[in-house]
Amino acid sequence: MKEYIATFHTHISALLTSRKLTALSVRAQMMPVPRKLSSSCGTCVRYWAKEPHLAAMDADVEAVYETGADGEYTRLLQND
Amino acid sequence: MKKVNWFVVLAGAAVGLAAVLLTFLGNPANMGFCIACFLRDIAGACGLHSAAPVQYVRPEIIGLVLGAFVMSVAAKEFRAKAGSSPAVRFVLGALVMIGALVFLGCPLRMVLRLAGGDLNALTALLGFTAGIFIGTRFLNKGFSLRRAYDACAAEGTVLTAVLTGLGVLFMLAPALFKMSEKGPGSMHAPVLASFGMALIVGALAQKSRLCMAGGIRDGILFQDFKLLYGFIAIFAVTLAGNLILGSFKLGFHSQPVSHSAHLWNFLGMVIVGWGSVLLGGCPLRQLILAGSGNGDSAVTVFGMMAGAAIAHNFGLAGSADSVNEAGQYVVGGIQTNGQMAVLIALAALLVISLVHLPKKEH
Repeated sequence: MKEYIATFHTHISALLTSRKLTALSVRAQMMPVPRKLSSSCGTCVRYWAKEPHLAAMDADVEAVYETGADGEYTRLLQND
Repeated sequence: MKKVNWFVVLAGAAVGLAAVLLTFLGNPANMGFCIACFLRDIAGACGLHSAAPVQYVRPEIIGLVLGAFVMSVAAKEFRAKAGSSPAVRFVLGALVMIGALVFLGCPLRMVLRLAGGDLNALTALLGFTAGIFIGTRFLNKGFSLRRAYDACAAEGTVLTAVLTGLGVLFMLAPALFKMSEKGPGSMHAPVLASFGMALIVGALAQKSRLCMAGGIRDGILFQDFKLLYGFIAIFAVTLAGNLILGSFKLGFHSQPVSHSAHLWNFLGMVIVGWGSVLLGGCPLRQLILAGSGNGDSAVTVFGMMAGAAIAHNFGLAGSADSVNEAGQYVVGGIQTNGQMAVLIALAALLVISLVHLPKKEH
């Protein structure tokens, strides 16, 4: 099981993605975006899964990161 | 219990220290920093309103935005973005300013007033929290001003450029501007002290994401209180400073630039809390975001200045308790115009909140 963080352009987008992941039986939690990932103060979704479920992301997803064992983030998706 | 973000605490402490020092150096009492009051003063200095006691080009505003700009560029975090419902943000900025001027302070000054012993700010804090709570209900129902998109660098530097130009003009040709001869606008720390301290605070606020509304919002939405520690640090440092300098005075009455119309203080700050959540940040945060390249926040700041002009041109702002020339104590408060404006602003926030909810699918 890996930890992922998805950041979004809007709060509603994070909310919709969180609901979608939960519907897929993925443990997901909404929270403020970690400062390391952004200077903005938006909402992100942290979730734990075997794969990143990129297809479940809402259209206004900004980026998806995998959290490494050392706490470093590896970007898997970028959507400007 | 989540981890304490010590950088937010440091930023909050720096804001508190700067506020105490700027008040000591000449800013009005409990007004070391106030984004609403200072934008209102700048609007007055530029002739957007004619309330003679509140006109001055506040270097603090220029310093905050420039500090955020420099820090965001240095950290490679400057990113020009715009296009998230700018017209609605302009209106929201104006509404937030009208609410803040009813109470006579932005959320930051609310904390400074609390730390000075002004219990009217406690009523305001309850209103601010209630407003944030209402805003979060709409966020959870899907409220959205839609996303912003990458823009050209010029779009992201508009507020920084405008304020830099204003600062240069103020230094080279101060006679261009209207300046208060008495009242809060006439009381100010030396320009370089104001600008220098604001520059540091702006940089720290960018780095820490310090936000008066964000702390309470994140607490309600996610039980995450990291940003709230900044809020607490501002209070603690300012309280200590006020106690050391002997400027702490506990009570409701005769507080500096303050009135005790509790209902209107409460409702004014409901507007500020609610509007700030819809905007994604308090007035301080809007300045910092604008300095970091957010064109929508720049529009919001211009909206706040328009709101300040409206508030003073139509007599909506609160009047502070005062002593008249005959030595009589005059109780301040809100005129009928201001009370109507508060109700209209609340109605406008409700309409804006409702029309930006997702459409129901049929």
